Formats: sequence, structure tokens, C-alpha cells
Amino acid sequence: MLLVATPVSATIDLTRSKLTSRSRDARKQRASSFLLNAFAFALLVGALSEPSFAASDKVRIGNLTDVSFGTIANLNVDAVASQSICLFSGSATNGYNVTASGTGPAGAFTLSSGTASLPYDVQWSSSVAQTAGTQLTANVPLSGQVSTATQQTCNNGPAASASLIVVLRSAALSSAVAGTYSGTLTLLVGPE
Amino acid sequence: MVGMNEMDYFRLDRMLAGCAAVLINGAAVAATQGSLGTTSTGSVAIGASVPNRVELSGLSDVSFLNQDPATAALDAQNVCVWSNTSTKGYNVTASGSGTASAFTLSNGALTVPYSVEWSQTSGQSAGTALATGTALTGLKSIATSANCATGASSSASLIVKLSTANLQTMQAATTYTGTLTLVVAPE
Repeated sequence: MLLVATPVSATIDLTRSKLTSRSRDARKQRASSFLLNAFAFALLVGALSEPSFAASDKVRIGNLTDVSFGTIANLNVDAVASQSICLFSGSATNGYNVTASGTGPAGAFTLSSGTASLPYDVQWSSSVAQTAGTQLTANVPLSGQVSTATQQTCNNGPAASASLIVVLRSAALSSAVAGTYSGTLTLLVGPE
Repeated sequence: MVGMNEMDYFRLDRMLAGCAAVLINGAAVAATQGSLGTTSTGSVAIGASVPNRVELSGLSDVSFLNQDPATAALDAQNVCVWSNTSTKGYNVTASGSGTASAFTLSNGALTVPYSVEWSQTSGQSAGTALATGTALTGLKSIATSANCATGASSSASLIVKLSTANLQTMQAATTYTGTLTLVVAPE
């Protein structure tokens, strides 16, 4: 809007200036041309700078369930827990990004048992029923995801649209102090 | 709230999620679901229990060849004992293949006893004598990985001895064999 207002102000200034008729006509012509160009430019800028979060660009993450590995009998193999969840994006492309953070220091993906900690990996897939996906880094958005959900709670259409995978690596398990570990994984999604 | 941006909301969500993770009567609060909005946040509680585990590795066969009966035989080897308890504690129980699990070698007709010692430190040629079937308790490991793949390469010493007195009872040019079994358990 600021770009449109500026040439209008310039026009008022021009009409108030004391110029000869000839030079005033030339100035008016140039001003008109400038106004047209500015208007076109404003339209272009307006189109490009349209808010990225329009009313319809809403997202929703749901159908999440807690992850319980129970007692891990074999510490020499990775423990994997995956779940299919509902990820809805109302953007034009159904695109979204996801940012994960744990309850470790600086949002690290770690579980804790007293002073002991147990790191874990988080993976994401925009397909359901996956046991492997793209590795997430704490607090770093994974962009370029597309949802197949057609309804915000997945009550209609696909019942799920993404996979959340949590992995406890054998290297971490076999070096962890025995105990009961817990933590929270938070997922933030945004439209694209 | 006035003045809060998306990241502020994200941090607030994380704080609330962290509070939600506090154990109540041993059970974590259930997952939270996101709502429809320009961003949406959900969370899951994650729980896992790592049981007490130990691992004994790095063992090598013991062989005394052409042993001079006038000189006591000794074989000391560095082994890896890993324990994941909070104290890294363990105990060890040894048993032989002789009668009543005795520490004896045999050539079929004749037997000869040997002794077994254990040290919770590697690089030792003497340790605490073990009695067959009896656990030596109160040991600690310095191993930081299950098979000493990282950190200390070994964490204990196994010592096998044949005294001169017993060597001198053995028949020459005869092979005596036996098996020593070691069981470690977490403490």
C-alpha cells in the first residue's frame, strides 16, 4: 500500500508547483506514466507479498499417541517406534513443514532418567505406515512436505497422512545406564 | 497474547509440553493434539526402560605348551566386562569342567587342578582367587561400551595358574584339556 500512496502524494505536489504550461504538460505526462508504472508495480508487489498465512492456509497435527518402548530386552539392536498420524494442510499445495524439539538441553532429542540421558532419533515421512523417514534435527524445520489429508481430523478421506518415527539407536542403548527414561517430543507444523 | 510471535508460542507450547511430561503416579500424561491454525503443535511422551545388563567379551583360549614342571605356569589376559548399572558393578562366577565343576584339566585318565584369579583391573598377573561356583561380588567396570568397542579396550584380568606341584604330577607328552566357564551378572 505504501507504494501506491507515494505517487499520489507526488501528484499533489506537482499540481501545486508553479510551472509553465508546456513544462507542466510534460511533467503531467511523465507523472501519469510514472503513476501507471507504479500502479502496475504495486499490483505486482502486492501479488508477490501476499501474506503467506492466508485464512485458508491452516494446518493441523493430530492423532498422536505416546511412544512407549517398554523394557528393551536387546540393547544391541535399534528400537523403532512408528505411528501414522493426521497432518492436514489447507494451503493451495497442501504443503507444510514440521519442526521437532525434545526436552533435552536446547531442545535436544534426549530422554532422561535422573541425571542419565538417552538420545533418540526422530524421523518424518509424509507417507503413512513408514518405519523410516527423513531424519529431523531439533528445532530445524523439515520443509517441502505435502499432505494427502482432505479433512483436518482425517475423519474423511485418508485416515492418516504422515509417519512419525522414533528410534533408539543400539549404540545409545548399549552405553546407557540402566533405568526408566522419559521425555517429550513436541512437533510444530506450519503451512507452505 | 500481545507481543508474542510464532516462536514465542512454540516455546510456550514446549514449556507446557515439558510440564505435561512430568510423571504422575509413574505414568506420563497422554499425547497432546494440535488444533487448526496458522501453525499447529502436538506432542507425545516417550518412555523406555533399559534393564540391567552385563557383557563379558575379549576372552582367549589358554594354552600351556611344553611347560617346564619346575616353573609355575601363568596366563593372564585382559578381558572386557561391561555393566550398565548406575555403579557399573558386577559379580563373576567361574566353573570348571571337572567333577562338581572343579577347576581341573584332564587327559582322559588323569586330572590336574589349576587355579583361577580375577582382577577388576586389566593388565594384572594376580588377582582374587575364585572358588568354583561361588560369585566374586563387589566388582566395578570401567568399560563404557558393551564390548569395549569405544572407551577402555579392556576392563578386567583373568588369570589362570598351574603350580609347580601340580605340573610335576602331570604325565609328559600328554595333552590335558578342560573348559573354564565364566558368568558375570550386574550389581
